[in-house]
Amino acid sequence: MRYLRLIGRFVRASAQQDLAYRANFLISLLHSVLNLGVGVVGVTVLFGQVETLHGWDLRGTLALLGVYLNVSALRGLFLGPSLDALAGMDGEVWSGRLDFTLLRPVDIQFLASFRYWRLFSLTDLLLGMGVVGAALSLPGSPLTAGRLAAFAVSLAAGLTILYALLLGFTALVFWSPGFLFGWLFNGIFQMARYPVAIYPGWLRPALTWIVPVGLITTAPAQALTGDLALPTLLGGVGLAGLMLTAASRLFRTGLRRYASASS
Amino acid sequence: MNLIAPLNSRGGWALVKSTWTSWLQYRSFFFLLAFGWMIPPLIYLFVWSAAAGQDHVGGITRGQFVGYYLILILVNQITYSQTNWTVGDVIRSGGLNAWLLRPMPPLFHALSSELAGKVVYLTFVTPVAALLALLLRPEIDPGLAAAPLFVLSVALAWALRFVWGLWIALLAFWATRADALLAVQDALVFVLAGVVAPVALLPAYLQGAARFLPFRYMVGFPVEILTGHLTGDELAVGFAMQSAWLVIAVALAYQVWRVGLRRYTAIGG
Repeated sequence: MRYLRLIGRFVRASAQQDLAYRANFLISLLHSVLNLGVGVVGVTVLFGQVETLHGWDLRGTLALLGVYLNVSALRGLFLGPSLDALAGMDGEVWSGRLDFTLLRPVDIQFLASFRYWRLFSLTDLLLGMGVVGAALSLPGSPLTAGRLAAFAVSLAAGLTILYALLLGFTALVFWSPGFLFGWLFNGIFQMARYPVAIYPGWLRPALTWIVPVGLITTAPAQALTGDLALPTLLGGVGLAGLMLTAASRLFRTGLRRYASASS
Repeated sequence: MNLIAPLNSRGGWALVKSTWTSWLQYRSFFFLLAFGWMIPPLIYLFVWSAAAGQDHVGGITRGQFVGYYLILILVNQITYSQTNWTVGDVIRSGGLNAWLLRPMPPLFHALSSELAGKVVYLTFVTPVAALLALLLRPEIDPGLAAAPLFVLSVALAWALRFVWGLWIALLAFWATRADALLAVQDALVFVLAGVVAPVALLPAYLQGAARFLPFRYMVGFPVEILTGHLTGDELAVGFAMQSAWLVIAVALAYQVWRVGLRRYTAIGG
């Protein structure tokens, strides 16, 4: 309860900061629309040439793009800004300002994950939902309660995996303060725009199990528009739990290495 | 001060060298940037090779898609001008004062980070592209005459993309957030310059726009020279369009700089 109230405070503080720069809203809207545009153009150009791609039709691929946009929006909403404040360029680990954060009487992992909010990302969330809606309105297999449930479960697992990955990459900053692990992840995460099945054999295992972007977006989209195999669903849930535990431990181990940075 | 003349090439070269060596110290940072830029074309390399499979799409086989995109990754990196993203900051923060005071044309400052960037980025992208070539087995068979034409068109493409971005970035004299327009340029390059798909595979309305607007001539055109078997007419029209857009871009940049500088009031330093 106390944590929920704290999140409310964080959201309000961030909103007050953002609203001071209103032109930024227009610019962020422009970026959202461009991002949506290039994604939709990519999918339409592709399916202007082919009917299906490794079993994925226009409907499924568009739904996948929508899931990707939604997941990215949630990441941009609070995980990205909060973890970047810690480990990004000129972040708290690098500058030594983490001292003040550590002194606060709140769990440090909670603080590191929920402190800063970027409410402009809500437009991305709306656009992403619009894409999923548009995909589902195309003719295809009907949406049943079972599919919706599988979608919800696999999306929750996917988001947990995303959080664990981001936290893990953030924790690495304690070993290598100058390296921007978040950027490395950004690049790899873009691959989640398309189904894992299209990537060549040597890349696919890495994208399913090491940096499982496939489980983050491919699985939920498959649950929504096709049939997600039960083992994949359960495997995703299991991996989510495992990764969350591992990432939290890595974060705490890393934190113990932190030796401040007096200048 | 005039953007280019009078040329002080000795001072300019010293600046290029110092920028380049100082950037090499931050290799990992620039390698990460280059990694991020090569991902979108790499994704579409995989998408189109998967679409082609054992067969072909629009007459292009899997190996040809791989060849097309590997060359595109290199050309995209050579022509991508990250400098323009910082020109706006320089104007906003007042860093332009230092550019104006030094006894050499301000353009050298932009060019020095351009050149330093190319060297640093390419030391990362070239080996990665070579490794991908080993893994993915591209098929490229350019005609004999293609190589010199390719080099020429890459040079023109870089100049066009740099100067086009420069006039947009210089709008920072009027609007502090003009760099948002650079994101529009990036999106248009992605769609129209052959990144999302080779221009020949775009739907008709996009293809028309691609052939007329400047963006294809910033990336896609040189790549097509090496991989697309362009006819003599297509080559002539392509080079004519590329040069014409370059002239327009230079005129725009020159004019924006001249008028903008008169408005410029230095802040900080």
